[in-house]
This record gives sequence, C-alpha cells and structure tokens, in this order.
Amino acid sequence: MPLSMMEQGDTGKIVGFCGQKEMRQHLQDMGFIRGDRVYVVGENHGGMILMVKGVKIALNRALAHRIMVTN
Amino acid sequence: MGMIIALAGNPNCGKTTLFNELTGSRQHVGNWPGVTVDKKEGVYKGNKDVTILDLPGTYSLSPYSAEEIVARDYIVKDKPDAVINIVDGTSIERNLYLSLQIMETRIPMVIAMNMMDEVEAKGDQIDCQKLSWALGIPVVPIVARSGKGLKELMCAVLKAAESHEKPERMHLFGNELENIVAEIADVLGGREQDENWWKAVKLVESDLVVAESLDPEKASAIKGLIDKANKSADGDAEARLADVRYQYIGKIVGECVKKTKRGHVETKSDKMDKILTNRILALPIFAAVMYVMFACTFSENFLFIEGLPSPGVWLAGIVENIWGTAAAFVVGAVEEVGASEWAVGLVSSCLDGIGAVAGFLPLVLVLFLLLSFLEDSGYMARVAFVMDRIFRHFGLSGRSFIPMLMGFGCSVPALMASRTLESDKDRKITMMITPFMSCGAKLPIYAMFAATLFADSNQTAIIFSIYMLGIVTAVFGALILNKFAFKGNVANFIMELPQYRVPTLKSVLIHAWEKVKGFAVKAGTVIFASTVLIWFLSNFNMRGMCGMEESLLASIGNGIKWIFAPLGWADWRASVGVVTGWIAKENIVATFGQVFGNVSDEMVEAVMAGEEALPAIGEVFNRVSAYSYMAFNLLCMPCFAAVGAIKREMGSWKWTLRAVGFQMVTAYVVAMLINLIGNVVF
Repeated sequence: MPLSMMEQGDTGKIVGFCGQKEMRQHLQDMGFIRGDRVYVVGENHGGMILMVKGVKIALNRALAHRIMVTN
Repeated sequence: MGMIIALAGNPNCGKTTLFNELTGSRQHVGNWPGVTVDKKEGVYKGNKDVTILDLPGTYSLSPYSAEEIVARDYIVKDKPDAVINIVDGTSIERNLYLSLQIMETRIPMVIAMNMMDEVEAKGDQIDCQKLSWALGIPVVPIVARSGKGLKELMCAVLKAAESHEKPERMHLFGNELENIVAEIADVLGGREQDENWWKAVKLVESDLVVAESLDPEKASAIKGLIDKANKSADGDAEARLADVRYQYIGKIVGECVKKTKRGHVETKSDKMDKILTNRILALPIFAAVMYVMFACTFSENFLFIEGLPSPGVWLAGIVENIWGTAAAFVVGAVEEVGASEWAVGLVSSCLDGIGAVAGFLPLVLVLFLLLSFLEDSGYMARVAFVMDRIFRHFGLSGRSFIPMLMGFGCSVPALMASRTLESDKDRKITMMITPFMSCGAKLPIYAMFAATLFADSNQTAIIFSIYMLGIVTAVFGALILNKFAFKGNVANFIMELPQYRVPTLKSVLIHAWEKVKGFAVKAGTVIFASTVLIWFLSNFNMRGMCGMEESLLASIGNGIKWIFAPLGWADWRASVGVVTGWIAKENIVATFGQVFGNVSDEMVEAVMAGEEALPAIGEVFNRVSAYSYMAFNLLCMPCFAAVGAIKREMGSWKWTLRAVGFQMVTAYVVAMLINLIGNVVF
C-alpha cells in the first residue's frame, strides 16, 4: 500500500517507488531505501513526518503516495 | 605553497559551524560562476597558506539540484587538495551515503565524525578507528560547536593532502555490474583513470548531466552497455547501486557503532515536535512566535508596557541620537570653515540621508538575529512543513515561506533566500511576490501618513491593514501567476527536520550579519549617491540654484503626475516621492520633508517616527488618496538594491523586467481600486 495510508505510530517496510526517476533518486539520497523500515512520527492534512535511518523527514502527501510499503 | 581543502556534507550536519570554527572571521562569500549558489571561502586560522572552501550542503552527488552539481563539479573537475567530509554521528547511515559517493571520486579525504557529544549523550558509541580501517580513510571524531578535535582533524587532512593518499576503489556492485562499469570506462578512455571510472558509474545510474557531456560516437557505444546494466539489475541499475551502497553502509555501521537501545526511542526533539507540529496547535504557536518576533523588533510599547521600547526600537534610538549629534557637529564644522550655503546644504542632506538608513539598521539587525536564531535552532524547517499545507492552496510550496517572512525585514536578503527553492517555477513566483511583504524601510511612510491624516483614528490598525494588504496581494499574485504565467504543478515538498539545537551565539551573529550586510552596504553607497542626486535636482534647474518649486525635480514631477491621476494623487510632489522611493523607500519621507516646505531635520525625524504631523500633506492628500499612495509604494517596484537582487537571482534581464512589470501593474491596479472604491464609500 502507499505510505500515505499509514497513520501516526505505524511502522512499515519500503518495497518500492513510483513516479519520476529524479524524485525517486532524491528519495534514495535522503535515506528512503527498499527494505528499510519507516516510522510515522506525525501527520497533518497536508503531509507526514517520517523517521528513516534515524533521520526525521517531512514530506507532502502526494509524495508519500509514491512510496510503497508493507507491514 | 597554497592548499585548498573543501568541506562537504549533508545539510544540517554542522558544516557551517565547522567552517566558522576553522576560518574565524576571515571569510569571503561569493557566487559560483553561472549559478546562484553561495561560494564561501576562508583562510584556515592555524595556517594562512590553507584555504578552506565550504561546498553547498548536499545529500548525494547526483544532479538533483544546482547545489549538488556545484559540489560534484568542484570535487571531480577542480580537484581540491583534500576533502573534509563532515558526518553527523547521530544519523551516521544516511550521512555515509554521501561519503561513499565522494570516495568514488577518489580524492584524498578525511571524515570528520561530528556531534560526538550528542552520540555519547544518547549512550551510543562510534568506533572511529574501526570505521577508518573499514573505509580505508582517516575518521576523526569532533564536536564542531565546541571546537573539540579540530586540531587532530586538520592534522589528518593536511597529511592526506600532502601525501595524496587516495581512497581505494571499492568494488561493491557485484561482478556483473563492475565489469560493465569497467567496459564503459574503457570506452571513455581507459578504466585506470579515476575520472573515467567515476563517469562510468554515473552513466550506469543514468546520470543525465554526464550523459549529455559525451560525444555522440561514444554515447551510442555506451548506450548498449547501460541497457545491459539495467537488465542485469532487474530493470533499474540506479536503484540497485543505491541499495548496494546502503547495504554496505549498514554492514560497517553494524560493526563500528554500538547502540544501547534498539528501536525507536522518543528524544527531546520528538517531544517538542509533538507540540510544535501538532495538527491543531502548530499554527497558533507559530502565530505567537511571529508576534513576539515583531514585537521585539518594532514595538514602541514592549511587553504591553506603555512607552517601553523593544530592543530594536531602543537600539535604533541610540543610533539615531549618535548619528544626529555627529551630523550636527560636522555641519557646524563645515559652517565654521566658511563654506558656501549650498555646500552646507549638500553636506547636511547627505548626512541625513545616510542617517535615516542607519536608523533602520538596528531594526533590521534585530529582526534578522531572531530569524537566524529560529533558522539555526531547526524551527524554521518545521514552519515550512506546517505552512506547506496552506501555501499549496496558492500554488506555492512551504519552502517559499522563509523568504517571504524575511521580506518583512529587507527584500534583498529575502530574495537571496529564495535560491534554496528547488523548483524554478516556485523560485520565480516567490521572487515576484516577496517585495509585497512590507519591508522595514516602508514603515516610516505609513507612520508619516498615520500621524498626519489618520491622527484621530486607530493608527496601529491603519498600519497593520497595510501589512495585511501586502500579504493578501501576494496570495492573489501567486494564484494569478500560477494560473496564467506558469505551467506545471507545485513541486513536491520534502525536507529534513533537523534535531532542535540551541544555536551558538557566534553562529547566529555570523548568520545574521551575512543577511544585514547587503542592507548596510546599501546605506553607504546607493543612498549616499541618491541623496546627492535628489539634493541637486531639488535645488537646481538649468539656470542654476533655485527654489524647490522651480527645480528640475519639480519639472520631473509635473511631467509624470498625470499618470497617477486615476490613483487620486496627481501632484508633482507625490510623484517625485515615488521616484525617490525607488532609490530607497525610506527616501520618500525625506523627500516629503523637502518638498512640502523646508521642514527642519528634527521635524523629519519626528515625522518618520510618527510623532509629528507634516502639515502641508493635507493640502495634497485626503484619507483615500493617502491610503492609495501607501498601497502604491508598498506594491510597486522595490528599491534598486532589491531589483539588483532580483536580477542576480533570476539570472536574466528578461525575467527581471517581467517581475518589475508585474509589480508595477499590480500596484497600479490595487491603488486605483482603493481610490475608486474609497471615494464611493467615504
């Protein structure tokens, strides 16, 4: 499912990305990597705050929608 | 023998702090050729033959943003003697990703493992010796904020630079991909050369910048090899390389880092974020922070105590007093020597012109000190995230918020701050609407009118409404530009939220000064020259010295005043004010002081502070036209210093003219509407 469906306190495992190559690469550069676990620290209507590789990253929902996760 | 050491690292890893610690105050900030990315250079404190170069903060060496291209071009093409790669020990895995990419360029390098104090405070341990052995390059633990470990770091770097010790070529990608990389490197001119190898890796990652730099013959030979690489990596070689690098990092971090606690532990930053980014509380808290910030800068009744000046106003008062005394002394001295009347007039009006700006400098300084504090503490990143939700409705990303906020201080640094926006469209729109935020120099105009024509109404409300007008116009401006002038969607928002840290006084001061400097330089140059010009124009005509009514300035004003008739103030004095306002907005008040009867200098100061009324203004303006005049000067072309900043950041005259044209039309339409509607209603 897309990461945007997760809720505060949820943890998921990244399985893939959709969308443009450039954005995908930037996500990788910032630490979003297949097989890694992400933790949802917080969310509001516009976006989410996530924890990956011990770093806190904020992104908007449209972008979170492009990251695929499983439980 | 001169030596160049480059600093590279992720954003928020403490790179700027380290740079400040290594170079002290001997810094030079310029631009990288062709792009608007800061180029900071400084001389190492411990050895003046060593130049430290601060590369822009990046997450990788892939060409995602101008910063990343600058950083990697410098490392690959210009080849510094050595690179210090700063790694934030608290997020070591993500930071080491960049380290691996720098190692792939095979430049002599040393890793500075920063934030070791925080790592220890968390109860973790990083074995730098073991890490150094695993990576094959020196790793030095440091605490940049306190300067701990910097001597050892520089010692290791200089040794690496002198001995040209390069990192070993890593073979992480697996036999199949490694062979393809080697074959591509051969096509490029030989796998032995590091640059060819590096380019080959980038080509496998489908790096567009490297691909475009190839000559067509080689490109077609390489294309087949790249397809082969993608095929062997299940369709996406670039993702495979990223996976492999992170796996390798994961392995060595597992060996060299001991974590006391497993899983997600709630830190102090997390607790603060629960409140500061809370979906309900975030906006009210932010509004309160804004209020406190502006109160500290502009309030005459600080902390609601009648007559207590805020730190900003207090400092401004001191500077004005000192300047006033000094100016009076100089003018007195000039009179003493027996200089002619016009010379005395010239000297005194120059001193007043500069004094007016010098008086604002403390206000702008206090505002930027507070803004720098918020930025360095990590709060601004949260604000950008919280505001993103709202800004998206106007077609802007939350990142546009920081430049717009700085616009309340001075447009020049605000426009410069827009360069951090990744999307070209967002950056252009932000630059076009940022001058609508009422800068510090525009405040005296409102104060002047408020004290004169709105003396019996709530003056604070009048001034506040002008600020709001600027914000509302900016919102509509963004919507209109998005709808008619630009194509494409709003860029996605992604931003690291660094841990909250109390910034050091030194870093806040340096940071604020970098921003205020533009304003200060303007005071010394543009304003000085313009005051001389205005003085000349208002005291001379073609026949020689004359009164104000017959001066060149009056002729100019009379020539253009018809343009402003629909706005309600077709008067030469008002028109001249607009023109002098382009040189610097605060000039308008000084010009009014001169053109509305020879008002004394003390009077002009009192008018600027809103304490006294300028009597003759009432003859030209009524309340409606005064409001229209304020609106026009708020929204029309900003001062020349700001236009220069737009030109630098846009990088083209075409876009600069478009921006100025947009501002002019907006100002004219809004002021005309105010005049039309105002005359019907009042």
